[in-house]
Amino acid sequence: MKMKRIIALLLATMMLALALSGCGSKKSDSSAAAEGGKTTVNLWATGSDNVRSIFETLTNEFNTNSEYADKYEVKLQFMLSGTGTQTLADMLAAAAKAGQTNTDYDLVDLSGDDLSKVMSLVGQDKFVKLDDSKIPNAASVSAESSVTPDYCQPYRGTTVILAYDSEKVPTPPATMDELVEWMKANPGRFAYNTPGTGGAGDSFVRSSVYNFLPEEAFTSDDEKWVSEWDEGFEFLKSIHPYMYSSGGSIVYPNKNQGTLDLLNQGEIDMCPNWADMVLSQRASGAIRDSIKITQIEPSLTGSLQSMVIPTFGSNEEGAYAFINFMLSPEAQEIMVRDMAAIPLIDSSDMDMTGYEDLQGLDVSNFRIQSIGGLSTAFNERWDNEIGTLG
Amino acid sequence: MMSKSCKQKLVAYGLVMPAFLVVMLTVAYPIVSAVIQSFQDEETGAFTLDNYLYFFTEPAQLRNILYTLFVVVMTVVIAIVVAYLLALYLRFVKSKIAKTIGTLYLLPRFVPAMCAVYAMITIIRDSGLINRIGALFGLDIKLGLMYHASGMIVMNLWFNIPFAAMMITAGLGAIPDSIIEGARDVGASKLKTFTSMILPLSIKDVVVASTFVFMSNVGSFTTPYLMGGNSPKMLGIALFDQFNKYMAYNRSAALSVIMFLICSVSAGVYIYTNLKENDWEKQ
Repeated sequence: MKMKRIIALLLATMMLALALSGCGSKKSDSSAAAEGGKTTVNLWATGSDNVRSIFETLTNEFNTNSEYADKYEVKLQFMLSGTGTQTLADMLAAAAKAGQTNTDYDLVDLSGDDLSKVMSLVGQDKFVKLDDSKIPNAASVSAESSVTPDYCQPYRGTTVILAYDSEKVPTPPATMDELVEWMKANPGRFAYNTPGTGGAGDSFVRSSVYNFLPEEAFTSDDEKWVSEWDEGFEFLKSIHPYMYSSGGSIVYPNKNQGTLDLLNQGEIDMCPNWADMVLSQRASGAIRDSIKITQIEPSLTGSLQSMVIPTFGSNEEGAYAFINFMLSPEAQEIMVRDMAAIPLIDSSDMDMTGYEDLQGLDVSNFRIQSIGGLSTAFNERWDNEIGTLG
Repeated sequence: MMSKSCKQKLVAYGLVMPAFLVVMLTVAYPIVSAVIQSFQDEETGAFTLDNYLYFFTEPAQLRNILYTLFVVVMTVVIAIVVAYLLALYLRFVKSKIAKTIGTLYLLPRFVPAMCAVYAMITIIRDSGLINRIGALFGLDIKLGLMYHASGMIVMNLWFNIPFAAMMITAGLGAIPDSIIEGARDVGASKLKTFTSMILPLSIKDVVVASTFVFMSNVGSFTTPYLMGGNSPKMLGIALFDQFNKYMAYNRSAALSVIMFLICSVSAGVYIYTNLKENDWEKQ
């Protein structure tokens, strides 16, 4: 009997100890030598699931087939988006402000909006000023980030475009004014998703509002622009009655996929959406072949996805190697094929079957928007003023 | 040396301690910290009731609360009525069809929420299955259920009718046949048997089922996110907006406390009904 009790107590203590050790902090991966003399490069990225699978393909390719395969090994640290980017930016800021050095933030992938957020949180001197001689493939990249161009290297573009059903709309509008005329002539056949639920709707409303403001406002997070949004919001109210409606009230669906579903089902004929979403779903047969994309003037926003090397990382050479790999034709082709990304190098000798539409998207014409922290105020105002119009 | 009962008590506490600590850490501590946060001002951290007042004075937010209550109460009422009828059918009708339904009625609950919602959307949307079948006959049927309360209530019934029916069936199963036969022997009609014997004996299970249906639907997210309109919104979506879109963490804490209080009303009803002793249960 006594033995039983002792064993029971020992088990209980052991389980408690195990449970508590599970709550302990995880040891950070040091980038000391991995197997076979290769050094590790930790790549931090965030996004939706298709971005994760693309990065896994790319890191595998780098680790096995590229010219760097026997020198570096890239480990992907991926954070599924939702509130992920806020956390990644916070994590970088925390590490930088705590004065940490030799952390495992060797290489970080950031979108335009997050780049400006991180740069303002952390400061550009915490990032390596990129030496172009270490990235030979960058010579063929003409696109340049609008935020801290010397400290980040763009490697792919994404853009929001107008997706439309070519059977119902043989000649799509070419300018914003033509689009508004089309909306009024075809009430209920256009929809955009609620801002804050998907980037396409965000892009449409911000482009519409910032069309009334000077160009530099679009990449500024200065609070003074907030009071100048009135004209833009009046415009959004004026087009509200011509939006898609169901059951007697106007509806702004949630998520980018919400409007794409409506377009595919034939309930609407046009919507703003991401180029890569439309093209990859069309290629896989999830949406009809008659759905095409077009850009309007002034264009809906695009953004460049860039990589930065924090000075508090621990494998600068490996980071440079991976960036150079990302700009190689092999890697760019993987990105085109697997996620309809817009390549930033000359695509004439890449295999672009099924994605010829991407070649028509001129990256140098991209309108970049990064209003940083103002986006929360923007979404809240939309929810209160337009969302409640019913 | 400690007495035997003292030792026994220590052992008992010691064995319970790990589980208790886990519950404290994962349940009690976040609740307490959320409640504290809900009373703090966003910028200064000073005590304020503004976060709560926001939800009761902003017309859009107040509408959200009333809308959620409407949708949830309708879901509870319809789910319980249908579930009760289903349970009565399964209990008192002895046929092959009834037996088959008895084994199949729980299946809808096993379908993952996202799949079920998309399945429903495919059928009821304005360009969905019903509309296309109607088109074959030359009719343009647009149900108008999507993005409105009616659609969400229909979707909620998918998950809640089987669950409520399961609980009520269990309760009805506990009513012995002899009671029913006894009532019929003294000449009670079917309706009288129901109102004076079956209903009072199963009312507690009905209240339990209603409580669970109510509490699980107040904070529902998937259905309103995919099928709901822009205004008014269900509280689950309003809460998501507050902490994810606007990053207003103090207001989100206040809204969660408000939702918690709404649920505790229904929990209170449940506790009251269970504690109240019925006449026939008194010794």
